Amino acid sequence: MKSRIELKLPSDMAFLGVPDALLMELGSDMDCCKRSLEELGSSVIEACTNAMEHGNKLDPGQDIQVIYEIEDDRIVITVLDRGPGFDFTHWQPSEELMRKRGRGILIMREFTDLLEFGTHDDGRFMIRLTKTLDPSRDEDQDPDQGAD
Amino acid sequence: MKIKEHRRDGVAILEMSGKLMGGPDAESFDETLKTLIHEGCKNVIVNMDKVTWVNSTGLGILISGYTTLKKSGGELKLLKVSDRIENIFIVSKLYTVFQSFKDEDEAVQSFA
Repeated sequence: MKSRIELKLPSDMAFLGVPDALLMELGSDMDCCKRSLEELGSSVIEACTNAMEHGNKLDPGQDIQVIYEIEDDRIVITVLDRGPGFDFTHWQPSEELMRKRGRGILIMREFTDLLEFGTHDDGRFMIRLTKTLDPSRDEDQDPDQGAD
Repeated sequence: MKIKEHRRDGVAILEMSGKLMGGPDAESFDETLKTLIHEGCKNVIVNMDKVTWVNSTGLGILISGYTTLKKSGGELKLLKVSDRIENIFIVSKLYTVFQSFKDEDEAVQSFA
């Protein structure tokens, strides 16, 4: 069973928590790991930050769109903006530990199974996040589950 | 983001709540630290217990605060970081920069 939910938000950082809150609500009805869900939530916050700030230049008249595709054990989230996008193929994480910016892609890459960038059919820039929500992961990491 | 402040043994404890995500939050946090430094209080604990999430620009706020205090001869330490936020500190390797505590007494005593 596959469900699809679409969300449109003005490019105003005040709304950044909404896609995460919706994800947590959707995940509450799924047999999934809390940690995986939170990692995907952090990733969608980064994708939306990028879309609002760099894509739509924080113009509240420009919407970003967030599309959730929910399957049995995984969620695919696509975030669309009106900006020109950027070339991810040559992206390298900075070695400067104390930099104030530039961790969004790193967080998305580390917290998802698949991170894709590209252009949607209608010309909008697209970030797609895919994550399998393995319910056994919480058990692996829960100290109360018998691990020494 | 909201900031509430109290002091113990010369250490400022900033209780932050809400989302830590840059923008006006950065100015508010920066102003709070500048005031503390001006008053001679350079050791700061940021209580993250009521922070629901942090994004990459929010991390930048903490880094900026850490650098500002370090330059003034002080230090910024963290208290009660949630598992979710700690996970972000791990992947960004910032856990190697920020000292983090679960207990306020222990955090305050670390400055002694």
